[in-house]
Amino acid sequence: MIEVNITVNGEARTAEVPPETTLLTLLRDWGLTGTKLGCDEGDCGACTVLLDGMSVNGCLVLAGRANGCSVSTVEGLSVDGRLHPLQEAFEQHASLQCGFCGPGILMSAKELLDANPSASKSEIRIALSGNLCRCTGYVKIIDAVAEAGAKMAAHGGQSNG
Amino acid sequence: MQPFDYVAADSVEKAVKILIDNSPSARPVAGATDVLNDIRRGLVEPRMLVDISGIAELQGIEITDRGLRIGSLATHTEIIKSPLIKEHAPALADASLTVGAVQTRNMGTLGGNLVSAVPSLDGAPVLMALDALVTIAGSAGREEVALRDFFLGPRQTVLGTDRILVDMLIPKANLGKATSFAKFGLRKGQALALINVAASLHVDAATGRAAQTRIALGAVAPKPIHASEAEAFVDANAPGEETFSEAGRIAATQASPIDDFRASAAYRIELIQVLTRRALSEAYSQATGGPEGR
Repeated sequence: MIEVNITVNGEARTAEVPPETTLLTLLRDWGLTGTKLGCDEGDCGACTVLLDGMSVNGCLVLAGRANGCSVSTVEGLSVDGRLHPLQEAFEQHASLQCGFCGPGILMSAKELLDANPSASKSEIRIALSGNLCRCTGYVKIIDAVAEAGAKMAAHGGQSNG
Repeated sequence: MQPFDYVAADSVEKAVKILIDNSPSARPVAGATDVLNDIRRGLVEPRMLVDISGIAELQGIEITDRGLRIGSLATHTEIIKSPLIKEHAPALADASLTVGAVQTRNMGTLGGNLVSAVPSLDGAPVLMALDALVTIAGSAGREEVALRDFFLGPRQTVLGTDRILVDMLIPKANLGKATSFAKFGLRKGQALALINVAASLHVDAATGRAAQTRIALGAVAPKPIHASEAEAFVDANAPGEETFSEAGRIAATQASPIDDFRASAAYRIELIQVLTRRALSEAYSQATGGPEGR
C-alpha cells in the first residue's frame, strides 16, 4: 500500500491505496463520481481531470504520481452554487444528450479557456480532440465552449461571477 | 490491473540501481501513458514500477555548447510550447503536436515515446533526420549513441531492462537545419501514423544543390529507418519536384510496411512516396526561403 496526499478541488485528502490504483479509481472511491470511467485506456477522455492545471486522463495516471498534486474535477466547477460559464453555456446550448462525456469535456475546455478564453473554434476542436462524444456530433459543444470563452474574456478571465 | 510495487526515484543513479536490483521485472515509468496500457493488455508484467518523473536531471530543454539538449522527461506539450524548439527545431514541435490528444501530450514524454519503440512512434523521425544523439545511463555509467542505433525492433531498444534514457541532443551543426515532418493517420486527431516521415537538408549557396539530406521514416518497418539511398539520390541530383518524387519512389523500396486493419501494405507504399516528396519539397522551400519557409 502507498500513502497519497492530494488536494482535490481545494480540499486536502489522504488515502492508502494499492500501487496500481489509478487517480480515476481513487477519485471515484472518494465519491467524486462525476469523473467517468469510459474506455480505461486513455482514448475517450471521459475521465479527464486537471492535474496541477493540466488536463490528463485519470485512467492513465497512477494515484502515486498524483501524490502532492492539486486535482480539479467537474465537481469543483461551480462555486457557491453558481455555475461556471462553461456549465451555463452547455445548458443553454443543450450541448449534451446522455452526458457521459460532459465532465471530461468541461475539464478539457476549462484548461483551454483558462489559458486562452478567446480560443478560436479550430483551437477548441484541437483542445477537445481527446474527448469523444457519441451522441451529439460536437457542434453544440463547440458553440458552447466558444460562448463561455467570450463570457470569460469579457469578465477579465474570471470563471465565476 | 495486475498488482505491482511502486517506488519513486529522485536521481538517475538511484533509479538505475533499483532497476538492476530488480531486473528484469522492474520498469521505469514517466508519463505512464504507454506503460499502464501495456500492463492492462498483458504486454508487460512488471513487478515494480520505478517512477522517474521527479528526477531533475532528466528535465529541461536547453542550449549547450554541443547543441540543443532535451531531457528525456520533456513532455510533448513542453516541446510544443518551447521557444528553443520553435527557434532551433520547429519540426519537432510539429511532430509532438500529432501525438495523441492534449491529455496524452500533457503527460507523455518525448523520451518515453522513443523508449516505447513502437514502429509508429512520432517522436523519432525528426530527431533522426537531425542526427540526434541520446544519452543512456546504466551500471557502467553514461553512454552516448546515435538515435539511429537506438532501436532494435518493435518495442525493443538498446536500453534493455536496467538502463534509462537521460536526454536527447540535436548537434549544434543541425540547429536550424531545414526540416519537415509529415504524417498520415486515419483521422486528424488521436490517430496512430500509417506512415510518418521527416526530411531535412541544407542547400549549398554556391551550387544550389541539396546537401546532407536526411529522410527518416516511421511505421514502415519494424523500427524507424533512414531511407539512405533516397538521401544520397537527393544530394546527387538537382533539387526539384522530379528529384523529390524519385526520392519518394526509392524510399518506398527501402521500406517493408505491413498489412493490417488500418491500411494495406500497398497503400502504405503509396503514402511513403507521396509524403516523402512533400516533406522534401517543404524542407527545400524552407532552406531556400520559399513560400513555405519559416
